[in-house]
Amino acid sequence: MLVTRNAADLCALLVNELYGQLASRIIAALLARGRSNVRDLSLHTSLNPKQVRHGLALVIQHNLIFYQTDRETAVTTYEANPQAAYHLVRVGKVLDVIGRNYGVTARNLVNDLLMLGNVEIAELVRYHRLKHGRKKAAVNGNDANDHGPGLDHELDNGNADDPFDNDLHHANGNGVTHSTADNETPIQVDEIYDTLAQLIAAGVVETVSSTMFQSPQDLKASIEQECTQEFPNGVRGAKVISEFDAMVKSQIKAIGAERSMTKRKLQESAMYEPSNIKRRKLANGGMSNGFAGDSGGSILRDEPNTIVRLNFDKCLVELRNQKLTEHAEDFVGETTAQVYAALLASLCKKVYRCQHDQHTIMTEEEEETYFTGVRVTTEEVFDHLSPDVDVSSGIGTASEEHIDIRFAEKIRKYPPQVQGSHLQETLDAGDEILGSDDEDYDATGERPKTQVNGNGGWTAHNGTKSDGDYSGEGHSSRIEQIYQMRQHLLILAEAKQQFVRHCGHNEWTVDFGTLIQQLRYAELDTMIEDNFGRQGLRLTRILREKGKLDDKTLPAMALMRKPDVHVKMAEMEMAGFLEVQEVPRDNNRAANRTMFFWFFDEARTLRRVLDNGYKSMVRCLERLEVERYKKRHVVSLTERKDVQGNEEQMLRGDVYNEYLELVDIEKKLFSQVSRLDDLVSIFQDF
Amino acid sequence: MLEKSAGMDEETAALKTQLYAACEEACSSDPDRLFTQEDLTALDIIPPKDLKKLLQLIQILTNERLFAPVHLHSGLAWRLRPEAEAAKYKQLTSHDQVLVYEIIDAAGAEGAWQQDIKRRLNVQDNALRKALKELETKRLVVQFTTVENTTKKMWIKANIKPSSRATGGPWYTDQFLDEAFIEALQSVVMSFIKNRGSYLSKGERGARSVSPVLPKKGIINGATSEAAMKSKKRTADAISKDDAPVAPASRYRKTIRLPLPAGYMEYPTTEEITAGIQAAEVAKGQPLKQEHVQELIDILVWDNRVEEIRMGNRVGYRATRISKQNPSLYSKPGDEDFWEPRSNGLTTVPCGKCPVFDLCEEGGPVWAGGCEYFDQWLA
Repeated sequence: MLVTRNAADLCALLVNELYGQLASRIIAALLARGRSNVRDLSLHTSLNPKQVRHGLALVIQHNLIFYQTDRETAVTTYEANPQAAYHLVRVGKVLDVIGRNYGVTARNLVNDLLMLGNVEIAELVRYHRLKHGRKKAAVNGNDANDHGPGLDHELDNGNADDPFDNDLHHANGNGVTHSTADNETPIQVDEIYDTLAQLIAAGVVETVSSTMFQSPQDLKASIEQECTQEFPNGVRGAKVISEFDAMVKSQIKAIGAERSMTKRKLQESAMYEPSNIKRRKLANGGMSNGFAGDSGGSILRDEPNTIVRLNFDKCLVELRNQKLTEHAEDFVGETTAQVYAALLASLCKKVYRCQHDQHTIMTEEEEETYFTGVRVTTEEVFDHLSPDVDVSSGIGTASEEHIDIRFAEKIRKYPPQVQGSHLQETLDAGDEILGSDDEDYDATGERPKTQVNGNGGWTAHNGTKSDGDYSGEGHSSRIEQIYQMRQHLLILAEAKQQFVRHCGHNEWTVDFGTLIQQLRYAELDTMIEDNFGRQGLRLTRILREKGKLDDKTLPAMALMRKPDVHVKMAEMEMAGFLEVQEVPRDNNRAANRTMFFWFFDEARTLRRVLDNGYKSMVRCLERLEVERYKKRHVVSLTERKDVQGNEEQMLRGDVYNEYLELVDIEKKLFSQVSRLDDLVSIFQDF
Repeated sequence: MLEKSAGMDEETAALKTQLYAACEEACSSDPDRLFTQEDLTALDIIPPKDLKKLLQLIQILTNERLFAPVHLHSGLAWRLRPEAEAAKYKQLTSHDQVLVYEIIDAAGAEGAWQQDIKRRLNVQDNALRKALKELETKRLVVQFTTVENTTKKMWIKANIKPSSRATGGPWYTDQFLDEAFIEALQSVVMSFIKNRGSYLSKGERGARSVSPVLPKKGIINGATSEAAMKSKKRTADAISKDDAPVAPASRYRKTIRLPLPAGYMEYPTTEEITAGIQAAEVAKGQPLKQEHVQELIDILVWDNRVEEIRMGNRVGYRATRISKQNPSLYSKPGDEDFWEPRSNGLTTVPCGKCPVFDLCEEGGPVWAGGCEYFDQWLA
């Protein structure tokens, strides 16, 4: 993450919003000054060392910084982790998506993890029971089931909570609600453990090891340092260097393996096998009853001192899936998007992060999936598809002779930019159509006659291998539904954005890199069209396609009047979406003897837009502070423990109305921040 | 030369007429055909190998302006000039006039730029202007302007029309880009593509799922073919399965367009769109060629309204975001193209549209706390 001034401001504001001023000041100082020790920090923050240490403990607890102790001098330096700080903007969305995919208990657990930071499993479970066991009955007004798109969740719930003395505090806080909560059934400990196990197995929650507190670069450096000691004669010569590299690599691998040990164990325990996911889903995510025996929960019970934290990398993957689904809905249609969501859900079981660089520590399994890509079969997708989705809708009908399945079923074995273009040309003639597709034609004959009028009688029927355990009627309907779902997948594969790649016989994959790039363009186009109209969009797209163009060719291509073009171009150049290059025709550099070439600088524009996004978010949060200050008398009232949760009864009518106004403003601002985050995610994190 | 022109014997005169007639016949199909020496010899008018005779004849014809010499890379060639055109040279009185007229004549439909004529002839400005004026009064040349550079003084022969390059093709009316015409044609192309490349769903489906108890017969009678088809298509168990979960009310909405299945081969190509426009007779008097229609389509592609879709060698076009497109077939100017325009965090108020966004900072002249755009937005 490139930390611009706006990004740094944003990180500090976000930390302030969630974890208070102390943490925020330390983060801000670290972002501004770079890596520092306690002495430097106390100098820059004007806090005494004791306060700084307290604050550091807090931010370390919440994974907001890295630290590194030098072996010789024993001085510890601290370094901000801007990515982690930025992630805080997404907590609302993360909770939302976790709630949807893994159930309410999981969402509450993740919420607790956000509150507590790094925490032992036993402690987490205890806290969870204390907090949710008794007060399930919507204490916090709008909080209980309306998570909204933004941060508002934390707003009500967490803001001032100090994670370190939560016990007492919460006991007090809940005291008020005892009467309403009594009839709630307490949450089973088993359920908590099982949900936690499920989250760890999925990668949403990860176990913490000491290496995680070092930044990946530091970690690598210290491993290298260790390894150099093995070579007393120094690392020289090709052979020794390669030995050394191998050693470093294996050490990093070992760390990766160590980190994912618990996860592996849980994944191996039978009930987390992918084949069971559907059953678990049907059991409403909770999987509390009916799954006795050697469950993941019992594995966790055996190691109550394992420390866990939320893994934002995986959360990002979930968020990305959601965003991609939204885009599919926008570009293609509703039903197709639901099918796409099912595909992404099954595909991303093995995807643990969206992006990686040379410092990312991956286990072997991850590395494998990263380099070979993951793929799913049609059957798997269908198993993930909710039965409510009516796959027969959402696609128009066309008569059989207009459909050429050779193109519809085209298999692209290679991702677009790597070898694709070259190979596709050579394969064009018809090699791409797998022979096995033809075999499946026969199966179509068995399809119910009623189909012929429906989505066209077109054929190409894959994925019909009957498992034998379906009864006659159910069987045909399943085949039929898979067939119809497949049509949605084919549309997605055919779309210009390449949502899906039909990578093998009945196998599907997604090339996230190129797809996200397409979405970046789409967002950029949206912005340009909104700001400069359709004609502005036209001009920039021409430049993107053709490269640099001079003043004369552009109007002819765009079919626009020359003066209009000039006005638009100047406007867009001022806004930073276009650049102009001057090429003098002779030495005089007179304007009339100079050629002007317009061009579109992609990388620069993206950076600019990204920073604008940060800046807008900062402005929203700053405005929020101002609004809160304006209504400080209301805020101070609502902060009282006896008022919290009972605003309507406790506050005077006019004050209550003002409170509602403030809540409304907060909602607006946070949802705007969250919309901006959608944009930033696409431009940077996905 | 004197000797030849004076003492042209009868045989030569006859040969000359014959040669000209032969050439005329040879280029009847292609008036711009050029004749090289070989071509002329091959016409079988001149006795073979009599180069001297040929030379003489060409000389005579050139002098009489019936042949216009053209320099090619491969050598000299001649273009035939109609007798009526050649007669015009007889009206010219001064040497300057001849030279100027020759250049304008050679420039043909493209026209000749006054500066260019001056440079090529290396004459005084006054002399050139005088010659042009005389030619103009004789109604041999006229001045015109091209769309490429409206300030240039261009001259063309009085009896021909400027080329399409000079007039700008069908997009220009009287040297001005006819934006209304282009706009109208774009929407015609758009509706053609939309109609041919999507499926119109009328939304009866939603109505049916809202009241699943309706008798089947009623649907078939009452609804259009689409609903009937749908109801036929779905097997009994599929219906029972689908209707069990409550059909959400949001499903029930107006007419939308749906994407066609993958592998659809009939997305319209440029040829088909051109034919469609010609059949619809929307551009009477301005015959649109395929390349012009292609220009229109390219514009729509750049506008993100249409996308190219390749099926083997067939390059078709279909509308983007089809389910979000305004489903009505003919959009009036000013209509929104999409019933749900795309937006994101930076297209919306307050910061996305802020004119002073670059100035905005804490403690600066513009800042979030005192921002009037925020005031409006939050109010």
